[in-house]
Amino acid sequence: MSQSDPPKKGPKVAGIVDREILEGIRRERGDEDARAQAPLSFRLIRRLFGFTRPYRGKMIGLSVTVLARAIQMPLLAWGAGTIINGPIARGDHKALAWSVAAFVGFALLTELTFRYRIKWALEIGESVIHDLRAAMFRHWLGLTMGYFQRQPVGRLISRLTGDAENVRVGVQNVLFVSLVQGGQMLGCAILMAIEDWRLFLTVLGMAPAVWLMDRFFRKRLSEAYRQQSDSYSRITATMAESVTGIRVTQSFSREGVNATHFRALVEDHASYNMVAARTSGTFLPLLELNGQLFLALLVVIGGSHVLAPNDPMPIGSLIQFFFLAGLFFSPITVLGNMLNEALTAMAGAERVFSVLDTTPDWQDSPMPVTPSELRGQVEMREVVFAYQPDRPVLHGISFRAEAGQCIALVGATGSGKSTVAGLIAKFFVPQSGAVLLDGVDTRDLASPWLHQHLGIVPQQNYLFAGSILENIRLVRPRASREAVEEALRRLDCLEMMEAIPQGLDAEVGAGGASLSLGQRQLICFARALIADPKILILDEATSAIDPLTEERTQRAMRLLMQGRTSFVLAHRLSTLRHADQVIVLEQGRIIERGTPDQLIASGGSFAKQWELASR
Amino acid sequence: MPLPPPLGSPSRPRYLLGRLVRLTLRYRWSCLGLILLNFGLLALGLTALSGVGLAIDYLRAELDPGATVFRFPFGWSPPAGWGSSAILWLFGGLIFGSAALRAVLSHLAAVTTNRLGQGKIVVELRSALYAKMQRMSFRFFDANATGSLINRVTGDTQSVRLFIDGVVVQSLSVVLATGIYLAFLVRIHVGLAFACLAFLPLLWVIVILFARWLRRDYEEGRKKVDSLVLTFEELIRGMGVVTSFGLQEWAERRFLDANAAVRQQKQGVFRKLTILFPLVSLLNQLSMAVLLGYGGWLAIRGELPLGTGLILFAGILQQLAAQVNVVSSVADSLQQTLTGADRVYEILEATPEITDRPGAVPLAEARGHVVFEDVSFRFQPQDTVLQKLSLTIPAGERIAIVGPTGAGKTALIQLIPRFYDPDEGRVTLDGRDLRDWRLDDVRRQVGLVFQESFLFSASVAANIAFGNPEAGREAVERAAKLAAAHEFIEHLPNGYDTLLHENGANLSGGQRQRLALARAILLDPAILILDDPTAAVDPGTEHEILAAMDQVMAGRTTFIVAHRLSTVRRADRIVVLDRGSIVAVGTHEELAKQPGYYRDAVLAERGQSGEGNQAKEGAG
Repeated sequence: MSQSDPPKKGPKVAGIVDREILEGIRRERGDEDARAQAPLSFRLIRRLFGFTRPYRGKMIGLSVTVLARAIQMPLLAWGAGTIINGPIARGDHKALAWSVAAFVGFALLTELTFRYRIKWALEIGESVIHDLRAAMFRHWLGLTMGYFQRQPVGRLISRLTGDAENVRVGVQNVLFVSLVQGGQMLGCAILMAIEDWRLFLTVLGMAPAVWLMDRFFRKRLSEAYRQQSDSYSRITATMAESVTGIRVTQSFSREGVNATHFRALVEDHASYNMVAARTSGTFLPLLELNGQLFLALLVVIGGSHVLAPNDPMPIGSLIQFFFLAGLFFSPITVLGNMLNEALTAMAGAERVFSVLDTTPDWQDSPMPVTPSELRGQVEMREVVFAYQPDRPVLHGISFRAEAGQCIALVGATGSGKSTVAGLIAKFFVPQSGAVLLDGVDTRDLASPWLHQHLGIVPQQNYLFAGSILENIRLVRPRASREAVEEALRRLDCLEMMEAIPQGLDAEVGAGGASLSLGQRQLICFARALIADPKILILDEATSAIDPLTEERTQRAMRLLMQGRTSFVLAHRLSTLRHADQVIVLEQGRIIERGTPDQLIASGGSFAKQWELASR
Repeated sequence: MPLPPPLGSPSRPRYLLGRLVRLTLRYRWSCLGLILLNFGLLALGLTALSGVGLAIDYLRAELDPGATVFRFPFGWSPPAGWGSSAILWLFGGLIFGSAALRAVLSHLAAVTTNRLGQGKIVVELRSALYAKMQRMSFRFFDANATGSLINRVTGDTQSVRLFIDGVVVQSLSVVLATGIYLAFLVRIHVGLAFACLAFLPLLWVIVILFARWLRRDYEEGRKKVDSLVLTFEELIRGMGVVTSFGLQEWAERRFLDANAAVRQQKQGVFRKLTILFPLVSLLNQLSMAVLLGYGGWLAIRGELPLGTGLILFAGILQQLAAQVNVVSSVADSLQQTLTGADRVYEILEATPEITDRPGAVPLAEARGHVVFEDVSFRFQPQDTVLQKLSLTIPAGERIAIVGPTGAGKTALIQLIPRFYDPDEGRVTLDGRDLRDWRLDDVRRQVGLVFQESFLFSASVAANIAFGNPEAGREAVERAAKLAAAHEFIEHLPNGYDTLLHENGANLSGGQRQRLALARAILLDPAILILDDPTAAVDPGTEHEILAAMDQVMAGRTTFIVAHRLSTVRRADRIVVLDRGSIVAVGTHEELAKQPGYYRDAVLAERGQSGEGNQAKEGAG
């Protein structure tokens, strides 16, 4: 490993593939990857079985075919041996013809069973994973926003894909394949014991050795594979960084240095590949050697039994063993594989169920209030809030916004202004104190009712895959095209949208048309205008756009806020200028408040910032 | 050397195949070794099987000396005095000995395959591809998505490797194996050999057809799952919007539709699989039935020995059944290989657009005198980004470039470090065409700060020293102090050794930009380019960067692209661009008086900040 370390020169500036950083990344992910397997748990298995209940018919069919196949496979091999020992050894033509016909018939039956065995197993597995995904998503929809802030999207995706996939393998393969293979082993064992129990004991004696070898190598292999995939993800991560940072790399002429580092990474990965190849290249031949050892023993021991002067073994039995031994040994490795898959499936199931068991941070009271109308007065009383129990981010916030007012929330990153907005939207509920709408505690209000009267324009200007039109009338799907156009006209940006190729029907969102920041923002404004909420929360974009576009968005924003109680997470002076009230937050406390003029006159921190920015 | 045929042309597959064959020939000795190993494996396998057959025939002859006559192969006979148990040990030893040797050879084969494929071919291809990519021009990166580029280095190189060990070696081995098996069986009994192998071609055809058929399905399935994940990610990221507008039902519908589409698609795959698997298995059993019937009949007539005939045949049939997988994978690999090779060689063959001209002169230290002479430039053939633009910037001047989105501001400054070359006209540095200086030297003379500066996941010091990894700690700190970054770096948990997360996610926007400034000036460049460095931060933190900028601009020719007046006003001269042409040049005071874009922008910004209102009131 050390020979492929990137060269380190001077004071710790090893560059983009610094080993320590990679270690850091690995440690960060450690908690996730460490539990790739979990012990077999009856509770989990039973719960998983609950998901197969809607497919009971297929489950019964599957169980029958599994059993049938476990018997059919050894019988087929035994049949071949019997034909050789019986009609062929006796020289009976007629019996040979009949028995081969029977063999073909039985083979057909076996494959027919096989067809339904895999059909039902595949279908049940796919249905279970489909239902699990649906159940997870429904459950997620019922959780509160706090959950999504704590969980990175990537983790949720891996629940939905990787973990669910492992469960599917568990359902589709592990159980039924194990049963078939186990049954096949047992069937062969019985047939062999009937043929000659002494020789069978020799076979049996070798089985534990094969099993132990299997476990030993599998452990080393899984370690090798883990290192292989780790070093691989280093390659992809570096690749991704190199492509994104190409402008920086080229402007600093670092191409050569990077290429050297990358080569070291690739060679490092190749060395792990080599370890894995060497391990599996030892394991598989050894396994095969085992089967051959058995054949050799069969010839030596079995042969001497056959030639023994007293109580000789019929030579036919030797031939039967030759056919059955293969079927007896092959399941051992398959079962070893299955055990691994089962443990992986358990870990997947555990994580999937932990999603389904997550309880929302809070729930609406059992008898929520739904007032007939909302005027839009918003008040906070001594609100204390913490995302993590002992680290409050808001320490006793109190303010009151009258209906129709515009409140600007100001403060640095981490000052708590988004939390204040989230509390008004009832994404969270306060630990102590209260948020009141028209004098009613939001805890008592029905969330769906509240959200009908609330609108949000987030900073990321979130657009969903679909046309511009669909995005604007997301909340009012029945709004006519004319209504949407009217809203855009009022925001003074209809021509701007129509100038986009395909106009309002242009596809946006992932993979859609590329819109400018200003355009995306205006679409979100229009969406909020169509929704016509009483309370509006608007997170202003920080990025600068050219002054003329900026002026236009400002005008649209003011129009949107008319007649609504609006909270703006403000970054621009002009927005502040038009606010009825400015609340300046610092580390979860309100440090200044008042009209913009009052604050400027007071000479506090707001006034200083104002001066710096408007210079 | 003739040019390679372009992508998608009809002669391309043939050309790629030629390249792949040439690549294979470079590793011909390893390949030959592998084929020989496979041959050895086969021969030893047949030896072990024959051992079993011989033993059975020997036993039958011993039991019933009258019925059959046993002969040792190759006319050999055991020394007199050997008892039956010695002979049984001989057979046992033959079986185990050849199996043990076989194990050694298969280990060797596995290790050799890996050393050749993963250790040599893939390492070479990946390194070459990466090194080439690092030097590709920006046009190339504009045209290709990050994911696709990553894939070329990771997945496609493996596809190319597959041609050697998956297609060439495997198919030669299969042909060899089939030939040897056939010869071996024919030697025993011609008719039975062909009867038993009659199903083999059919089996191969079925497997190859299904493989091709299913691959399309699997690709389709991957797309469906991708779209499920995409839908999911979108909905989760937009959860704030979903919740606040009460769109839960809509979101659920959207997700469930995508989820159902995945299951729907899988059903089709299952239908095919449930035909394929039983069919393959059945064909193998039919071969066995033929062997039992026809072979049994021959055995009864005494034309075929039981052990070295019937049972040996049965053993070989099992081996051939196992080969079916190899055949289907070769068929699949070939297609995959060509697709991968196409994308790998596209890059390896490409000539980077921007390279040193022959006879380019080294540039030790530039003064920073930049002149644009009738420069025209476009990203794509149809559009025009810059039109016949001329501009002279004396060394040490600070020049601001303003104009509406799409005016060509960024294009203009990207010509200076030669990220692109002009289509017409030229840009000179200290009196010489940029293309006549050595490229690396030019870039060393240009310090760049982008709108959102990309930082690498390395230590703070490593990021500042990016342009010169050998720079000592003092040089790093000096640059950081100049960029007003020293203080906050000292306050980071591990100071200069603090590791940055991906793209510096653990720093604020202002901090990231100051690090980028420090990185840009570490090499003490004569020219500094600031591409809207304050765009992505809010006005509150803007002044942090502006203060740092004043320090680093001193004594350097500086180009600033900016929207905010507070930034623009620091320049000696302001250039207003519109649709690729210069529409005005002057100082802030001059331009603010002339009607036009600049005055409108000034008024718009004043109007927003409130000062303009008072001015208007005063005027009114």
